Amino acid sequence: MKRRKFDLAAVPGKTAKGLDERLQVATPLRGLLNKVFPDHWSFLLGEIALFSFIVLLLSGVFLTLFFDPSMKEIAYDGAYPALRGTEMSTAYASSLDLSFEVRGGLFMRQMHHWAALLFMASMIVHMARVFFTGAFRKPREANWIIGIALFLLGFLAGFTGYSLPDDGLSGTGLRIASAIMLSIPVVGTWVSASIFGGEFPGELIIGRFYIAHVLLIPGGLLALISVHLGLVFKQKHTQWPGPGRTNSNVVGERMFPRYALKQGGFFMAVFGVISLMAGLFQINPIWLFGPYRASEVSSASQPDWYVMFMDGLVRLMPAWEITLPIGEGYVIPPLFWPAVVGLGALFTVPMMYPFIEARRMKDNKSHHLLQRPRDAPERTGVGAMAFTFFVIATISGGNDVIADKFHISLNAMTWGGRIGLVILPPLAYWLAVRICLGLQQHDREVLAHGVETGIIKRAPDGRFYEVHQPLGPVDDHGHPLPLDYAGWVVPKKMNRLGALAPAVKGFFFPVEKPAEAPVSPGMPPVTAREEREEITSGR
Amino acid sequence: MTSDTPAGRRFRVFNRRRSAPSRMRRRLGAAARMLAALALAGGVYTAFAPGAFAEDTPQLSASAQEGKALFDNSCISCHGRNAEGVEGRGPSLIGVGAASVEFQVGTGRMPMTRQEAQAEQKPPQFDKAQTKQMGQYIQELGGGPEIPSGDLTMSLEENPEALAAGGELFRINCTSCHGFGGGGGALSSGKYAPSLHDATTEEIYAAMLTGPQNMPVFGDNQLTPEQKREIITYVKMQLQEDKDPGGLFNLGRYGPVTEGVAIFIVGITILVFAALWIAGKS
Amino acid sequence: MTVVKEPHGAHGAGEEPLDLSDPRLSRFEIVREGARRDDIEIVTYESQFPGPNTRAEKRIERSVALLFLLAGLLGFVFLIAYIFWPWEYELGHTTSDYYTPVLGISLGLALLAIGFAILTWAKKLLPHEVSIQDRHEAMSTDEDRQIAGQTMLFTADELAIQRRPLLKGAVALGLTPIALAAVAPLVGGLIRSPHKPDHGQDPPLFRTGFDPVPNEGKLVRLTREDGTPIRPEDVSVGGQITVFPGIPHGATNQYADSPTLLIHLRAGDAAAARAATDGDAKNKGAMWGNYVAYSKICTHAGCPASLYEQQTNRLLCPCHQSQFLITENARPIFGPASRRLPQLPITVDEEGYFVATSDYREAVGPDFWERP
Repeated sequence: MKRRKFDLAAVPGKTAKGLDERLQVATPLRGLLNKVFPDHWSFLLGEIALFSFIVLLLSGVFLTLFFDPSMKEIAYDGAYPALRGTEMSTAYASSLDLSFEVRGGLFMRQMHHWAALLFMASMIVHMARVFFTGAFRKPREANWIIGIALFLLGFLAGFTGYSLPDDGLSGTGLRIASAIMLSIPVVGTWVSASIFGGEFPGELIIGRFYIAHVLLIPGGLLALISVHLGLVFKQKHTQWPGPGRTNSNVVGERMFPRYALKQGGFFMAVFGVISLMAGLFQINPIWLFGPYRASEVSSASQPDWYVMFMDGLVRLMPAWEITLPIGEGYVIPPLFWPAVVGLGALFTVPMMYPFIEARRMKDNKSHHLLQRPRDAPERTGVGAMAFTFFVIATISGGNDVIADKFHISLNAMTWGGRIGLVILPPLAYWLAVRICLGLQQHDREVLAHGVETGIIKRAPDGRFYEVHQPLGPVDDHGHPLPLDYAGWVVPKKMNRLGALAPAVKGFFFPVEKPAEAPVSPGMPPVTAREEREEITSGR
Repeated sequence: MTSDTPAGRRFRVFNRRRSAPSRMRRRLGAAARMLAALALAGGVYTAFAPGAFAEDTPQLSASAQEGKALFDNSCISCHGRNAEGVEGRGPSLIGVGAASVEFQVGTGRMPMTRQEAQAEQKPPQFDKAQTKQMGQYIQELGGGPEIPSGDLTMSLEENPEALAAGGELFRINCTSCHGFGGGGGALSSGKYAPSLHDATTEEIYAAMLTGPQNMPVFGDNQLTPEQKREIITYVKMQLQEDKDPGGLFNLGRYGPVTEGVAIFIVGITILVFAALWIAGKS
Repeated sequence: MTVVKEPHGAHGAGEEPLDLSDPRLSRFEIVREGARRDDIEIVTYESQFPGPNTRAEKRIERSVALLFLLAGLLGFVFLIAYIFWPWEYELGHTTSDYYTPVLGISLGLALLAIGFAILTWAKKLLPHEVSIQDRHEAMSTDEDRQIAGQTMLFTADELAIQRRPLLKGAVALGLTPIALAAVAPLVGGLIRSPHKPDHGQDPPLFRTGFDPVPNEGKLVRLTREDGTPIRPEDVSVGGQITVFPGIPHGATNQYADSPTLLIHLRAGDAAAARAATDGDAKNKGAMWGNYVAYSKICTHAGCPASLYEQQTNRLLCPCHQSQFLITENARPIFGPASRRLPQLPITVDEEGYFVATSDYREAVGPDFWERP
């Protein structure tokens, strides 16, 4: 029988041609492949969130195969002896089975939980980077708002997930959630009754949270993450100022081959760190918590860390109840202010910030060059203030554990938090602004006079002066000509001129760069062309 | 199951596992010894002061006599003669029973070094025999609860349900202060519920029976001796001896607080360093 | 790899596009031409090594290979452990306790090795590159903007909604109910009235399991979690016990507002508590002997406020640290709670068991708007 010769080598080419004939992909693909990304470590923080979200999806799908979101009461008869015979909801029993009767199930559960904590933590860190460098400015306001919406969705995803196992801790969390709903004026009882399907806890809430946790919220997250990334692609990444970098270009690496490969490696690293943590550190040991009973509680009942700021605010709130003397009297409980108003404000005010700042600075230009925190002292101050507030609120969310382990009075911790929440943020603002101005001043001095060398000379007339190494050209007397302030790193040590990147090899052992390396790769010796704009900080 | 393994048997010994005392502990210990010496001097004075012998003492057993001697040396300054208490310094010990003495003295909480929110656990100053003698004295003086002798845990072969029953009772009666993981917790104004991780079975039993400090009393009518032993079985086997299945480190079982600390100190730190390396120029 | 350095822009108005059919072109030149067509100027693309096959390059190649092999080995370890390591939970300190750690460490290190291998490959072996891409920010031309705007206005013109007020009204009136009809079943099904009478009784917002009315008028006993009733001598002085209504399912979450803390006060404290209780309009006569019963559900956020300190007579809530003073009608003395704990009026029935003389006289549980 005669067979046609099969040319294996031609298969990819033929397939590609066939695809293009049908879908016309080559031209858009060219544009997609040809995308330049600037390289800086702080631009990788958002990726941690993206990659942990992927881990969340993968591990989460596995968990759904075993979890049963039913609140039907059954008597446990599983592998964990200390609960055998205990009445519990099916949801809790299936979470136990997932942990103890599915091979590797506990590992997957812990991976899911650690990935969730990492997801939220990296979002915060990424958001801090974006804020302090001014990357949220026009034209990226939309992406900033989407980012905050992602944090809110992550917050909801985390809370619903925390509630699903229906253990003692998650039930306590649900109880507080119901109390927060009840605290809303006028409609509170209706909201709570509608969401719980009647009186707390009812028999519906786990099923409702389940569908929210596995479908609605992840769907929203997925959609928003796609838009978030799409906008980064469309608008191209911001970059730090530096030689050759202007507001109208991007200097960096093309996506292929190197950048994409690095991303792949970083994904593996994130995945690896999550696995390691899931293996090393026990998280949320639900078998110790027992099934949820309205009468049982544990000391140190906390939400996961990203909800702790809200819990902290609730703890610090003084017992101010507002009573309206109409009819039989109406009440606005103290819980309402931190939990409903506070949470709302903490999500909406940051959303408005790009517009507030643009208005204040009367700035409606587009910015693609980042600012170092020191070059925008007021913004840095506001950020320091916000983060101080957030950190104090978060710490107060765990103040009982701190009080217990460090032998501090619990009441003192609460008062410390109350006072700190009022006093420390303004202090942080002031400090941050002063530090920024100081750093800026120092940069300007170096630009004006050159680098301090530590060499003291004595002039013929008896004066002492320090020799400065000039950064640029010098005048007739050998004094450096003042350089323009460019909003980027200036050398602080002798003989580190030209290539502005620190000539440091490794973190711990500073080794001078070998002489044969002609330039520092990230900072190429690009001569500014005539048509390019002046190097500015983007102000 | 556990009691079969050699490890299980080894850990059933009732000695408190003690680590090397910290500097703080040593200082406290020194202070305590100093105070004890002062109390001793006071005691000696009282012994020779006129009128000390005028009191007619009830008939005491030999062991209780020994205990009385120890009491008169170390405790009398706060708890008064014949343990009747001193206003503003120490309560009467009439009726607290041997269980209370064995808990308070056996865990080093008594004698107190100074008046504070709560008596601290310290290395005990008296050995087991002395503690028993003092307990005997207080018992004969005013009666009160006693710790039963023998093994206070239950064998899971004979009572397979004891563990789950103990867990149930633990969660309804104990976790609110001592926590789901038994790590203890804060109470109001500097007081706290101690960790149960190092507590011996006798200490737990005595604590339930007598309600030391701010702990409520769980009398035998409320929690029968049987139920107390179930709780002890749960604490001992599940919270103290069971290795956590979820990882090499259990983060103290303090819940989301330490988990949140871990994600920043371990996860975020490693990954930020990784990012620094990835984008680094060398 | 080719070292390319071009001091001046390779793209620009005057530049002719490269003829890609030229067979002499290297692959890199085609890539560079493609980049140029996307306004990318590849400024530097140079090998990190002075020449091909240097020793440094070989060394890095070897370490990357080693890392991949290490990853493979660790992956194998993971599989072996996954299959053969004892994993079923056993009480005590057993090898199965190390199942999750072994999985996590082997998989984690394997993934880190892969990550490290890929990253080293990318960082050390691939040529480093500096490219510059133009951003093309404000790209829509005025003409395009005008065309897009006019097209939309044209649509509006053609529909002529302004000129046809009848249609305007009809559309509004016709579509609003449809929109509402679409939303109504989605939202409406969820809405539950918190005030709906429950089997002819008050709504559960204001009622607990201690209400004698559904219990055929009989006073409800205070029971333990297993349903056994409680005698006064069951609770020692300085003791507390969590009690539930002695009705079917009284100790389950069906009666989540009912858990109550029964406390036996010392005589001195009891006198103070009695004086405070009897001086209060609502709590008058609620104590029995030296026993007092308070709702365990915190008035702040509903956690069980059950950390009872028997010497200071405080109740602490572990969720937000509200503190209540038992001897003063459980008045909040610290923390965010603004309302005292409701007191359950108790007595002892003819058989000697504790009963609630009535339901709570105040609403139990966290605060809400219409609480009377």
